[in-house]
Amino acid sequence: MSAKEKEFSQLIKDNQGLIIKVSRLYTNSIEDEQDLFQEIVLQLWRSYDTFKGQSKISTWMYRVALNTAITLFRKKTKSPQTDELQDFHYKDFVEDDEEKQQQISTLYKVIKMLPNVERAIVTMYLDDLPYKDIAENLGITEVNARVKMNRLKKTLKELMEKHG
Amino acid sequence: MAGTGSSAKYDSPQIEAMLNKSSRNYVKYILWISIAEFLVILGLNFYYSFIGDDSESFMNILGKLGIENTVDLQADFAHLYFVLKFVSLVLTGVFVVLFYQNYKKINVESNLKKFILQIISFKKTVNIFILANILLLVFFTTVLTVFTFYILSQQHIQLSHPTLIGFIVGTVLMTILSIVLIWLYYRIVYGIIMKRLGKNLDELKKMESAE
Repeated sequence: MSAKEKEFSQLIKDNQGLIIKVSRLYTNSIEDEQDLFQEIVLQLWRSYDTFKGQSKISTWMYRVALNTAITLFRKKTKSPQTDELQDFHYKDFVEDDEEKQQQISTLYKVIKMLPNVERAIVTMYLDDLPYKDIAENLGITEVNARVKMNRLKKTLKELMEKHG
Repeated sequence: MAGTGSSAKYDSPQIEAMLNKSSRNYVKYILWISIAEFLVILGLNFYYSFIGDDSESFMNILGKLGIENTVDLQADFAHLYFVLKFVSLVLTGVFVVLFYQNYKKINVESNLKKFILQIISFKKTVNIFILANILLLVFFTTVLTVFTFYILSQQHIQLSHPTLIGFIVGTVLMTILSIVLIWLYYRIVYGIIMKRLGKNLDELKKMESAE
C-alpha cells in the first residue's frame, strides 16, 4: 500500500458521507448503491493526480460523483421504489428523533422523484455548496442555478405535502 | 443534509480494496464496444487489402454473366480495386485518430454538461465511422455494378441475360440487408445509453433556455 493510496483512502473515509448521499440518491437498490459508491471512489482515485486543490474537495468530489452517477452501468433497473427500501436506506443514516427521521426519509424519497440534473442541484444545495460551485459543476450559469433552485424549493414542498 | 460524514460506513481497508476493482462506468463499455467494432472493420479492411483476394470471385461472377476474361479487363479491375482499398484504409486511419482524440477528451472532472457532450462527441465519431463504412459499402457496390455494366456494353453482351437480373437483385438485396442489420445493431447497443445521456443534456439545456 503506497503512501498516496493511504492518503487517498483517508480522504475518502473522512468525506464518505458525500459519496454515500449521491450513491443513495441515484440508485434504487442496495446492490446498485454499493456499486455506485465503489465506482465513484474508483473515478476519484483515477483523477486524484490531476486534483491539485484548485477547487474545494467537496466541489471536486461532487463533480466526479455526479458525472459517475449518470454514467453507471446498472445491472437491472428497478423503477418503482418501495417504502420498505426507503426505510432500509435511511434507518442507519439518521440518528435523530423519529419525526425528523421520517421527514428526512420523505425528503430523500421526493428528491429521488426528480430528474437527474434537478436531483444534483438539490443535493449540492442541501450540502451548502455555494451557487457558484453548483453552477460550475453542472456547466450552467449561477443565475440559472439560483432560479432553478428557487423553483425546486416549491416543487419539493408540494411533493413533501403530497407524499409526507 | 443529514448524514454527511456522520455514518462511517466504509473503513480504510474496504476503500483501499475498491481502488483495484474494475470500473462499471458505461463510458468504459462504450469504449470497449467501439474498440471491438473498430477492430472488426479494421480487420476486414486489412484482410481484403493484404491477404484475401476476392478479385477472383468477382471475375467468376463476370464470367457467369458471359464476360470474357481479358488481360485489359484484369488490369482495369486491379486498378479499380486498388483505389477502393486505398480509400477504405485512409478512411479507417483518419477515424482511428479521431476516435483516440475524442476518447482522450472525456474527463470525469469536467462539468456535467461538458462531460455529457464529450461522451456524445466520442460516440458520434464511432457512429460517423460506421455511417461512412455503410456509405462506402454502397459506393463500392455501385462502382462495381457500374464497372460490370461498362464491361458488358464494351463486350456487346445482351443485358437480358437471366444471370444478370439475378446479379442485380442479389446485389441490391445484400446491400439493403447489410444496412438494415447494422442499423438494428446500433439501435439496440447504443439506443438506451445515448437516450439516457441525451435526457440529462436536454434537462440542462432547458434550464439555460428558461432564463
